[in-house]
Amino acid sequence: MMAAAESGPLTTHVLNTADGVPAARMALSLHRLDSRLMIWTMLSVGTTNKDGRCPGLISRETFTPGMYKLRFETGSYWDSLGQTSFYPYVEVVFTISEPEQRFHLPLLMSRFSYSTYRGS
Amino acid sequence: MSASRLKQLKSQILPDKIIAMAGSPSPLTTHVLNTAMGVPGSNMSLSLYRQDPSTNAWNLITTGTTNDDGRCPGLITKQSFTSGVYKMHFETAQYWASMGETCFYPHVEIVFTINDPGQKYHIPLLLSRFSYSTYRGS
Repeated sequence: MMAAAESGPLTTHVLNTADGVPAARMALSLHRLDSRLMIWTMLSVGTTNKDGRCPGLISRETFTPGMYKLRFETGSYWDSLGQTSFYPYVEVVFTISEPEQRFHLPLLMSRFSYSTYRGS
Repeated sequence: MSASRLKQLKSQILPDKIIAMAGSPSPLTTHVLNTAMGVPGSNMSLSLYRQDPSTNAWNLITTGTTNDDGRCPGLITKQSFTSGVYKMHFETAQYWASMGETCFYPHVEIVFTINDPGQKYHIPLLLSRFSYSTYRGS
């Protein structure tokens, strides 16, 4: 079941590097830039599961070339753990020119740092 | 001691750019590093914004370009550095394009909350074509 859900062309994985655990129950959303109107359109919204993943972000058919944004509600996440965070949210903006590939965009984060990379 | 000798000594003790900077250094600094090539990210355009708490609009505070060392002094003055939500915007794709390369990230924006503007904040950006990281330094 999980394998099918994870086979979408775009996946993410949020890790709480401060506590060494997946970041579960973090709200996030995927947006695509409408290049004519120059506005962001929200494509999906979800919450990470207990493994820090959020399957089903986008389907192969909808995944067209363009500029996308993954927005992670990191501030709310840390808030729910009773902690403050330097970053109210994290937005990762990226360009997809070859949508037939797989793109894995993890977010490794603590209260005062974060990193991301393009995986597959 | 001659005037020219004095000038020579002065330039060795106090580099010109420090003399040129009036007042104290910016309480907010950045440093861009090109981790793919192991060099500072120089000549990268960047800008700093503060969010208007009533309208949520972003107000531009300053734009600049990183120097040879990947830094951009003078981002904001101590007086202007009030509590609030700020955003640093880095023109990453433009930077890589100037070296004939593409970048997965058209730009990088780092949004952060300043609750205690009396402290110093260092917001580095460690960047390659396919990854980046940042942290709150001092």
